[in-house]
Amino acid sequence: MTASVAETPMAAPPSRSRAIGVALGSLLLLVLPALATDRYLETATRGLIASLFALAFNLLWRHCRLLSFGHAAYFGAGMFATIHAMRAAEAGSLDLPLPLMPLMGLLAGAVLGLVCGALATIRTGTYFAMITLAISELVHSFGPQFGSLFGGESGLSAMRMPWAGFAFGDARQVYVLVLAWALAGAAALWLFGMTPLGRTAFAVGENETRLRFLGMRTHAVKTATFCASAAASGLAGALLAVANENVDYSIFGGGASAAPVMHTFIGGAGTFLGPVLGAVLLTGFGSIVGQATRLWLLYQGIFFVLVVMLAPGGLAGLVAAGLRRSADGQAAKALRATALVLAGALLVTCAVVFAGETLSEVLSDAYSAARATTGMRFPPVERLGLAYSPLSLPLWAAAAAAFLGGVLLLRRAMRP
Amino acid sequence: MRLGRRSLLSSLPVLAAPGTCRAAAQTNEPLRIATIETLSGPGSGVNRLYSIGTRQGVAMLNAAGGFNGRPIEFREYDAQGTTSVAAERFRAAAADGIHIFVHGGSSAIAGQLIEDLRRHNMRNPARRMIFLNTGAEALELTGEKCNAFHFRLTTNAEIRVRALVAAMRAQGALGSRVVSINQNYSWGRDMEGAITAAAAAGGYEVVERILHDTNRIQDFSPFAARIAAARPSAVITGNWGNDLALLLRAVSAAGLRISFGTCFLDLPGSLSAAGDAAVGYYQAEVFNPIAFGAEGETMMEEYRARAGTFPSTSEVKAVLSMQFLGKALASLPPGTGPDTTRIAAALVAAQLRLPIGEMAIRAEDRQLIQPLVVSHVVKGSRYPIDGTDMGFEPVGVVPGPEAVNPVQASCRLERPA
Amino acid sequence: MDYFVISLLNGVVYGLLLFMVSSGLTLVFGMMGVLNFAHGSFYMIGAYAGYAIARVTGFWPAMVLAPVVVALIGAAVERWLLEPVHRHGHAQELLLTFGLVFVIEELAKLLFGPFAVDNPMPAELARPALQVGDIAFPAFKAFIGVVAAAMFAGLFALLRLTRAGLVVRAAVHRPDMVSALGHDVSRVFMLVFALGAGLAGLAGAVAGVFYPVSPNMAHELGVIVFVVVVVGGLGSLPGALVASLLIGLSTTFAVGIDATLGDGLRTLGLAWTMGGIFDVRLSSMSGAIPFFLMLLILLLRPSGLLGERA
Repeated sequence: MTASVAETPMAAPPSRSRAIGVALGSLLLLVLPALATDRYLETATRGLIASLFALAFNLLWRHCRLLSFGHAAYFGAGMFATIHAMRAAEAGSLDLPLPLMPLMGLLAGAVLGLVCGALATIRTGTYFAMITLAISELVHSFGPQFGSLFGGESGLSAMRMPWAGFAFGDARQVYVLVLAWALAGAAALWLFGMTPLGRTAFAVGENETRLRFLGMRTHAVKTATFCASAAASGLAGALLAVANENVDYSIFGGGASAAPVMHTFIGGAGTFLGPVLGAVLLTGFGSIVGQATRLWLLYQGIFFVLVVMLAPGGLAGLVAAGLRRSADGQAAKALRATALVLAGALLVTCAVVFAGETLSEVLSDAYSAARATTGMRFPPVERLGLAYSPLSLPLWAAAAAAFLGGVLLLRRAMRP
Repeated sequence: MRLGRRSLLSSLPVLAAPGTCRAAAQTNEPLRIATIETLSGPGSGVNRLYSIGTRQGVAMLNAAGGFNGRPIEFREYDAQGTTSVAAERFRAAAADGIHIFVHGGSSAIAGQLIEDLRRHNMRNPARRMIFLNTGAEALELTGEKCNAFHFRLTTNAEIRVRALVAAMRAQGALGSRVVSINQNYSWGRDMEGAITAAAAAGGYEVVERILHDTNRIQDFSPFAARIAAARPSAVITGNWGNDLALLLRAVSAAGLRISFGTCFLDLPGSLSAAGDAAVGYYQAEVFNPIAFGAEGETMMEEYRARAGTFPSTSEVKAVLSMQFLGKALASLPPGTGPDTTRIAAALVAAQLRLPIGEMAIRAEDRQLIQPLVVSHVVKGSRYPIDGTDMGFEPVGVVPGPEAVNPVQASCRLERPA
Repeated sequence: MDYFVISLLNGVVYGLLLFMVSSGLTLVFGMMGVLNFAHGSFYMIGAYAGYAIARVTGFWPAMVLAPVVVALIGAAVERWLLEPVHRHGHAQELLLTFGLVFVIEELAKLLFGPFAVDNPMPAELARPALQVGDIAFPAFKAFIGVVAAAMFAGLFALLRLTRAGLVVRAAVHRPDMVSALGHDVSRVFMLVFALGAGLAGLAGAVAGVFYPVSPNMAHELGVIVFVVVVVGGLGSLPGALVASLLIGLSTTFAVGIDATLGDGLRTLGLAWTMGGIFDVRLSSMSGAIPFFLMLLILLLRPSGLLGERA
């Protein structure tokens, strides 16, 4: 798998604007419990966990150019280990305070990652992707088998035990706990890139053959990186276990493995914080749009495909390019590109949502009932606060024009 | 473990404060009911039906005057097919002041929700919630995990098997050699246990026990060959979805004519996927429009007038659950307000008369006791399913007390204070 | 004995069905170096197309038209979605097809509903083809087998005996050279991708006769098909055939074996009393066998059974 230009470390934004961004983001995360209601705090907690998971996944891709399609195995291992530890603490047989529970998930992810990583990193490219997929499918098929380990269909549950005066009963305390661990995990992943191991791993991703020529044991490097990635995934799983106080084997399914892939590449795999952008965006999307329309998965899929096609560097790549331009004194050009992207995205969104919602309405049971009661073949559709005929030619023509125009605008904006 | 939880409770003075319970339930507050169900993504097809049915059921309660002189508020939360999102939505529902939430789609999500309910009620005794389970059948939910505020308004593996065995035996369709084939996870193993346990009462011997991978098998013909090799007189299976359709098709393609007892043949998509292979096979369910007589017919027609289609069994189960809740609500003195502790007590005492018998809750484990209709698949049915010409014709009704399983020893309810 | 014969037949037919789907996948990989995640989705589109067309034209014309429709969709996907991404590298192409899986599944759900559709089998295929003891071997299985065999022969002839096949094979190895010789390589890519999609579509249309046509189809078969091409060796058509049959037969026969790993160790004289994984019956894990097989192959012979390139 060859790296594209847009994904090389060159794509990072200028360091000053990055520092400002990180500082602002951290500040927002810290004051959030004071601003948000429990409901949004809950979503923010999910966003943090998804962010850490995506960062862990991207460690492998950014350094070693290894795409894993089975990271749910390590995430799930972390969840189960943590729940088991929490249950032991509840029964009084383990004396580990709740804030340290995520260490169990970290450990479980690392151990499983070491074994599976040693196996999977024998190969690279497509073969590697397929091995990770097979391992996670195997783990998934073990899920229903061992009741005492995985708890059967309805899963295992535990309860957060109070510690040092904190009951961990409300969303705020859980959020703070998750935030602390997520920041620590992200910092560790960032520092990994600075270590000699991380540097070597980068070189493995660039040109493994040359490194092997130099006498480097590249398999060991890849295994270690895989292990680190799995450990961080396990930590993310542990945080979810702490937040949910419950786990069942469905976490090993394909959906959990797909999430970090989507998050990373929508956000941008080339920049360190790109996956965070994607994770936060899609978690919010699933939480807000997911409540509004049943078609949110379709929209999310289309969004992913469009990003992969039009912005290979992800959204963070776009932001970075814009910032670099304005730093180079081309602020007007950057502004124009931003306006084009926003206009194009708006047009495409309108077209896709119109088509999706209209079709979904026309094919629904309620519509066939309306058809029977009104006696019309195509009674007007009431969606998006409007009533219109589903066969309206001007509307469909406008939607098609908006879609094509939007895609053209986006393509134009992406051109350097 | 229980000890740990109790000591936890007493160690938290804030949570243990007495007397807040009654005061919090403002009498002028509307009752808020919500479904937490998979409405999008994989599994949404079947699970969504419970939500649609509950919505209709609440609308019917509101048409009859609502609760406490006010309409009942209804909301839907999308669990998106994962327990993790379900947990998030549970907390959203709690924050939105939901009093009663309903879930029927999956035992995995129900397992998450029942634990969330337990912890929520422990941490917030002033804002306890009620879980009406309209379709999750895992035995643990009324066993190890049973909860005084969780009401299983549906069947479980043992109930289904007992009813099937009783009616199939009466029909002479059971014989003496039975094969059990089930999916290899907790539900399938519950089924296998129930089939084995019912052997003495059904007068048969279990000649083959097969557990297979869940939703992974593409070709069931090797299983058909195994079934044939056992020379059974009947097969009982708890399979659902593709695993059921593929099994029935493989058995039919292999030319085996054996009677089948099934649990989920009435789920949308099953009959169309199984095709003619399903004709003559048995099914035990709570509802059948023909068995419900004139009342069943009005129910079907009324529902179609509201929702546009005849209801699936899942939708009817949700509607019946709401009617049962309506009975409980009606028994409360006027002006009570949405006090979930009193509503829970009323649910335990409630009874709903159906054309085939009575629905009532068993106090010990909150399992619903209800009569079951055993039916078989016929062509040219009055209420065809899935756009096929097939439907379910009742062959017998098994009374609730006869069908219900004994209370599981693992269930110890922590009764509300 | 009856059990053995019928299992052999079942295993071979299931293997051939796997081959029908995996042949297109391995062909496209050999050509373009892209493992198409959405290949299972083309299989599903084929089944839905077969169902929708058969309602208008009847069964047999639909078996011809459905693959054509899917091939056209495949061509469109290659031209308008994959081709523009090509310059960003294989990983980006892989991700694109990964995203398409979700889009196509949701579209299928939107257009045809979330449940399996009622797709009746034509009467001539519903009857038994032959009888083995008590068990009938149905005609539609024979039909699947015949179509798969014909497909393999046709594909082999196309690639080995025709001039177009020569260009395709050359373009796999040396796209630049073929381009320099005046062939339009991007056009060849599109045609091969369309062919691969069409083959998956044919498999879907044929399989839809027996397997429930539902939005889950793509996922159910998709992963197994990946296993097949990896075990057979990415890009190798004969490898895909061998691997398909291997997986078809091994999963079929495993169903009849109730032994556990612990039993095996005990017969070797090891007194094994440990529970857990050693007490799982092989028959209850038959769905996991392909994945075991894949890990084993990748460790012992990393390029697959008949793969050439590492």
